Amino acid sequence: MGNVEIFGYTDKISVKAGDAIQFHVSTEGTEEVEAQLVRLIHGDEHPDGPGFIEEEVDCMANGTWAVAKQFTQVGTFLEVDDPENRLALEGSFTLWAFIRPGWPDSGKRQTILGRWDAATGDGYGLGINEDGRLEFWLGWDGEIDRLVADEKLHLQMWYLVAVSFDAVTKRATLYQEGVGNSYNSLLGEVAALPYASHPSGELRLSQQNLTQTPFLIAGARDRSEEHGDFVGALYWGKIDRCGVYGRALGREELDAIGAGEALPKDDVVAAWDTSLGYTDRGIGDLVVDTGPYGLDAKGYNRPVRGKTGWNWTGFTDCFRLAPEEFGGIEFHADQLVDCKWPAAMSLKLPKSLRSGVYAMRLRAGEGAGLREEHIVFFVRPAKPSARIAFVFPTATYLAFANEQMSFDDPQRQSVMGRFPIVSEIDIELYRRGEFGLSTYDKHADGVGVVYSSYRRPIPNMSPKYRTPSLDVPSGLAADLSITAWLEHHGYAYDILTDEDLHREGLDALAPYACVLSGTRPEYCSERMLDAVEDYIAEGGRYIYMGANGFVHSCGFRDDEPWALEIRRRDDGYKTWASAHGEQYMATDGMRGGPWMPLGRPPQKLVGIGLSGQGAGSSEFYRRMPDSYHRMSSWITKGVEGEIIGDTGLADGGAAGLALDHYEHTLGTPPHTKIIASSGGHTDVYAVNQQIVLYAYLGLYGSHDSRVRADMTYFTAPNHGAVFACGSIAFGQALPVDNFENNAGKVLANVLDAFVEPGRLPGWAWISEEKQWR
Amino acid sequence: MRPLESDTSQDREVVYRERFDSYRRDFLKTLVTPEVIEEHKRSPFGQHSEPLERLLIYFRQQPLADKYAVKVVTPFKAYRLVAMSGHRGVAPRPVGDEVFPTAKEACHGVFLLHIQDLLES
Repeated sequence: MGNVEIFGYTDKISVKAGDAIQFHVSTEGTEEVEAQLVRLIHGDEHPDGPGFIEEEVDCMANGTWAVAKQFTQVGTFLEVDDPENRLALEGSFTLWAFIRPGWPDSGKRQTILGRWDAATGDGYGLGINEDGRLEFWLGWDGEIDRLVADEKLHLQMWYLVAVSFDAVTKRATLYQEGVGNSYNSLLGEVAALPYASHPSGELRLSQQNLTQTPFLIAGARDRSEEHGDFVGALYWGKIDRCGVYGRALGREELDAIGAGEALPKDDVVAAWDTSLGYTDRGIGDLVVDTGPYGLDAKGYNRPVRGKTGWNWTGFTDCFRLAPEEFGGIEFHADQLVDCKWPAAMSLKLPKSLRSGVYAMRLRAGEGAGLREEHIVFFVRPAKPSARIAFVFPTATYLAFANEQMSFDDPQRQSVMGRFPIVSEIDIELYRRGEFGLSTYDKHADGVGVVYSSYRRPIPNMSPKYRTPSLDVPSGLAADLSITAWLEHHGYAYDILTDEDLHREGLDALAPYACVLSGTRPEYCSERMLDAVEDYIAEGGRYIYMGANGFVHSCGFRDDEPWALEIRRRDDGYKTWASAHGEQYMATDGMRGGPWMPLGRPPQKLVGIGLSGQGAGSSEFYRRMPDSYHRMSSWITKGVEGEIIGDTGLADGGAAGLALDHYEHTLGTPPHTKIIASSGGHTDVYAVNQQIVLYAYLGLYGSHDSRVRADMTYFTAPNHGAVFACGSIAFGQALPVDNFENNAGKVLANVLDAFVEPGRLPGWAWISEEKQWR
Repeated sequence: MRPLESDTSQDREVVYRERFDSYRRDFLKTLVTPEVIEEHKRSPFGQHSEPLERLLIYFRQQPLADKYAVKVVTPFKAYRLVAMSGHRGVAPRPVGDEVFPTAKEACHGVFLLHIQDLLES
């Protein structure tokens, strides 16, 4: 078998036993695959662990599936709802728009707005040509006339651009004027570049308007034999208010628009006010037309709303405060939120299906590498049935989904302190470039990616996946080491996902005596944080099984839970930073970036928070005096000696990758006990930037005591409690030696105590006197 | 520093970066010893001596185009060396034909390529 590849995704990430789920599949080189439902037990293939383990599960969908190659429409644009073809302009007209080109020298044609069919050469459009210049074009049956500006458009500068076309004289006049101020553009007024251009000329043609051509903003209709209709000539950058007049506007009228004066009221065909429809709790995908016909435009692949506009004065930094200054919509030709492939299979899951992580395993041929796909989804019980719940941090999986930092981020090797190990799958994902990026990546124009989604293939959310920059599993493959430990020791447990926490809040957690987090529950919406906090405060027992948790905000829309939004700020670890004025999420209006500056550091919730991170080698923990205190000595019962976790699948120890520490100035509950702490981390491990005021020589593992993992315990109201292990690598230490090791012993002590109702061990020993053995 | 005929870059900072890099390479070459190479072979991921750490910091900071990496052929069994393209959509190119039995040894292979490039620069 030759070049065979299989990719797939589900329509839902979290389902209950008995629910229906759809599988969307695209293949290369084969028209059929062998499908088998599997329950995922363990992922990491490290030879010191149990290896990859899956259990085949009977289901109606098992067997041969007919599959095909699917087309993915990548890129953002707005499609105007124009059922009466009001924009099939026949007479004179003007197209105008405020734009801030994001990549004018991309070398590819970009459409700002128009009703253009690139396949037949019919219609009209205003855009940026292959040479980076403003261009107006119109066509009749493949014959095309063009008018091109004299001056190139400059990167990230705001302009008012327009074309006025007189249908009687066939004279077209371009209008290109810079509208930059001291805040809104890359360059200020001291950079006296030639921004203006006003060429005019008589064209030979008029446009032919085909009935089926859509009016698009930031793209144009195209067609190919392989894909059928699609949208191409996609635009990079921002577009603010824009519109169409049914006559040729004069230069003075356009000057007035560029000066921010009221728009001419006569002969308006469409006037999209990109700043309308905002609420304090977010902005949708609909762009409102204030013209007489209500030709509203709908975003595809989520153009980014709430961006600073052409008239931003810098006084406010959030679209909620002065929406009229935040009319910028940002477009990227490589953005993807939903592949929208047809379903290859729909399946009603058996009601008896045990809660767990499942995958539809698809294989072609020998089923190795790209010829095998695990389409992962998470199954909750029809009704909560266990005393323990494990929450898979799917928001964090989405934040990292399809990250390409080892290929694209020049700092990645420095941050991780090691050379990357890439796989065939990583290379293919990078080469194809059609399954979208992660919120750690940048678009090709250098702007950070704010949206991720699970309605697309996510190879790094598969069970065996190893993160290239670390050469250890992260995310799902790491978290399976914890659930495999639960399986091995026979604990009955249900699983939940972040999506369930966001949707149901405390109700999702309340049925359980004990809840375990994943190894890196980093990204949390406000509802998710509230759910965990309320659960603990109302008597829940929570085991924070990792580090770098509860650090960063994210947003979901209720109607599209598959898409996650991130904004990155100057006060967190980041691979890019949102521009000023663009640090609030369009999804829900919340401040993007870390939770700490909003008064919710992780220490306040679970006792510890991010202290540092690195890679290459993990260390062990040494017991601290509190492990001998009668209130907490039961946690280390059965542990011989002082050392905990000196083995592990993640760089050879239980303390590694990301580390969390106790810090009472950040809200660690005062009665928290430190059971054990790691140390001896290499200088690849750097102090968390969020707790650093200056950068200086010495903020590294061998120099700074904050670079450590603290294993902590505190009691909460109503018999609640929190045990936190302090390191991402802790979970991956559990499978070593056939799941029999002292890291696991500690976890078992805690878990066994936490599932018992009533008082916790050590409850009586709350006095600080004479409680030391 | 006098202008070079070959200098046509729009980004004038490039000139300084190249000068800084040149001085840095001259110094780093003096740190390459059999002991440093042996130290990396023994412990590519541990706490390192200052000479080795300085070399590694430099290697990790190299630009993405032609930056060395490891490609896994069979997990935990076979690895090869590659160089990144630095251009999205373009796969890394193979470097040499040596197959390494462990990721650790392959990472040392990357280190040796960097050492060779440094000494030849």
